[in-house]
Amino acid sequence: MESMLTLLWPEIALFITTCVVMILGQSKFKDTRDLCPGLAAIGLIVSGFLAWYFRGVTSDAVLPHLPYYGKLVICGVGLMLLMLVAGSADRELEADAAKGKPFEPIRSTRGEFYSFVLFSLTGLMLCTSANDLILLFLALELTSLPTYVMVSISTNRNRSMEAGVKYFFLGALGAAIFLYGFAMIYGGTGTTNFEDISRTVAAQAAGGGINPLVILGVVLSLVGLGFKIASVPMHFYTPDVYQGSSSSVAGFLAFVPKAAGFFAILSICGLVGWSHGVTEQSLPEGPRVLLWVVAALTMTLGNVLAIMQRSVKRILAYSSIAHSGYMLVGVIAGPGPSGADFERNGIAAVLFYLVSYGVMTIGAFAVLACLEKKRSDGSLDEVDDIDDLRGLARTRPVLGWTMVLSSMGLLGLPPLLGFLGKLPLFTAGIGAKEIILVLVLGINSAIAAYYYLRLAYTCFIESPETTPNAPKVVEAPFAARRWAGVISMLCVVGLAVFGSWLGNLAEIGATYRPPKYVQPAAAVVPVSAPTP
Amino acid sequence: MAMPLAIHSEPAFVASLAASDLSSYVPVMILITMAITFGIINVFGSLVIGPRRDGPTKSAAYESGMNAVGTARKRFNVRFYLIAMVFLVFDIEIIFLYPWAVTFPNLAQGTNESLIWLARILFFVFTTVIAYVYGVRKGVFKFD
Repeated sequence: MESMLTLLWPEIALFITTCVVMILGQSKFKDTRDLCPGLAAIGLIVSGFLAWYFRGVTSDAVLPHLPYYGKLVICGVGLMLLMLVAGSADRELEADAAKGKPFEPIRSTRGEFYSFVLFSLTGLMLCTSANDLILLFLALELTSLPTYVMVSISTNRNRSMEAGVKYFFLGALGAAIFLYGFAMIYGGTGTTNFEDISRTVAAQAAGGGINPLVILGVVLSLVGLGFKIASVPMHFYTPDVYQGSSSSVAGFLAFVPKAAGFFAILSICGLVGWSHGVTEQSLPEGPRVLLWVVAALTMTLGNVLAIMQRSVKRILAYSSIAHSGYMLVGVIAGPGPSGADFERNGIAAVLFYLVSYGVMTIGAFAVLACLEKKRSDGSLDEVDDIDDLRGLARTRPVLGWTMVLSSMGLLGLPPLLGFLGKLPLFTAGIGAKEIILVLVLGINSAIAAYYYLRLAYTCFIESPETTPNAPKVVEAPFAARRWAGVISMLCVVGLAVFGSWLGNLAEIGATYRPPKYVQPAAAVVPVSAPTP
Repeated sequence: MAMPLAIHSEPAFVASLAASDLSSYVPVMILITMAITFGIINVFGSLVIGPRRDGPTKSAAYESGMNAVGTARKRFNVRFYLIAMVFLVFDIEIIFLYPWAVTFPNLAQGTNESLIWLARILFFVFTTVIAYVYGVRKGVFKFD
């Protein structure tokens, strides 16, 4: 109990910051309102420090060091996301207030916007430290609920309302499915505690076979969590929602729900454990087949559909779908034999790739968020069409190079971060003897080259737009977003060279402690549905 | 690649599953059957033995004994919605505080456990206070 509390200190710190930010955002004075993003950043740094300080405290689930790695990473990437969303809310309202109109708190969304970012990150941290099905469900909801609102209020166009409603209803559907799965797991084991579940499942596997209710529960949970990571049967919302929300919120959506989904998938797969099959190092047959099919379909569909898009946000949305498919390969491969190094450990590969995907995609979305189109009547619109990026490397070198490096990184070109992330996925897949899946992964990386290279080509080689009537592309007045892009560009190059510490950290985070096999017959409770 | 169900083909396992799992759902089944039967009996009962007296007054809409003054499709002041939200905050707080207050005296006073319980509820009250302050700053209680 008390160790659980120590584990939760980063979340508590972040939550308190959230509350303060929410109140400060309603202040009458502009100087106080302007404190919001800075305070949010300080909260994130403090909670990252707490996560590092309490690194010795482990959760009692099968991945005991996942909270430590997860929270450190969330704080790091969270800071970049905070820069990316800076200035998203209240632009018109602040302009009015600057002209001398009284500030109207009821119309303001700035405090809410930053506190929703922090709420969502708090939920994401809770996902890593959850040791109970109920806590995991609440954490997933805490991650998602703020994002529904953020999508709706990100722009004042109807499009983002539509996107928000779509996202909300499909999100509720996904939540219902995985909650049903959680209920099945409870029905098959009689407990909601992760440690007890994994022990019971290990006992069941040793004596006859895992209860089909548990397998059904895990399968349903994986399908439902597929919504969070945008994997194939639940991917339909992704392009519409990304296109409907503002570029910076789309960047937020690309990392946070996906990370929550993968942390939850790792926890749920950890319940049944990677100790089944012929090699005794894979998931039980049902979840494994499901994940196999979903992974293959997700990467193929994501990449093929991305080729047909002209909207940059839709391209990035389909690329987000495809990357979920890549990461599922690591989940299937599992931790490998005990004491396996980084190359064979699929979980470490997933954890590492999650960060590198987040960093690279933030760069791409930051470029979009930094630009806006000015129409002839003076109104501003988001940059979305791929033609708007023509010759960006010549007209705006920093943004152009960020886009080029981000897309090259997402493609996985050798000297960059994406390559370093994808390589362990390949080796882990081969180590787990999933040769066909690794082949699919390889072919998909080749398909993906088409649209990533097109993005880079448009920015780098084509000449800038010269049509006289076309809306003019101008830079948005948010320095922080540009910094998010620059940091992402530095990370794409720098982490590829000096990234071994992150790899080691991911390896610690992926420490797998298989459930203890029991025991004399007296200690094994015969499995039945819970007594009322 | 074996299919998922192949794991459980042992007859002994299937038998034990049927015996242990389904029997514990019998009360639920009985409850569902009772609920459906109750509904059907009520509907048919009032159809068969209920009196039928119709008239303009009977079919008129009323609320708590008052005659209706207009259509229900009217715009409400958004303030009612905000007040309802603030009410919910305190409503939920009471719901959680009550069982806590009933349980708390049963813990040994001054022990680590009781302190943690106290800290938990204080943290919860803190969140409610934040919600209240947020409402005030947002101008929910300004009735101009």
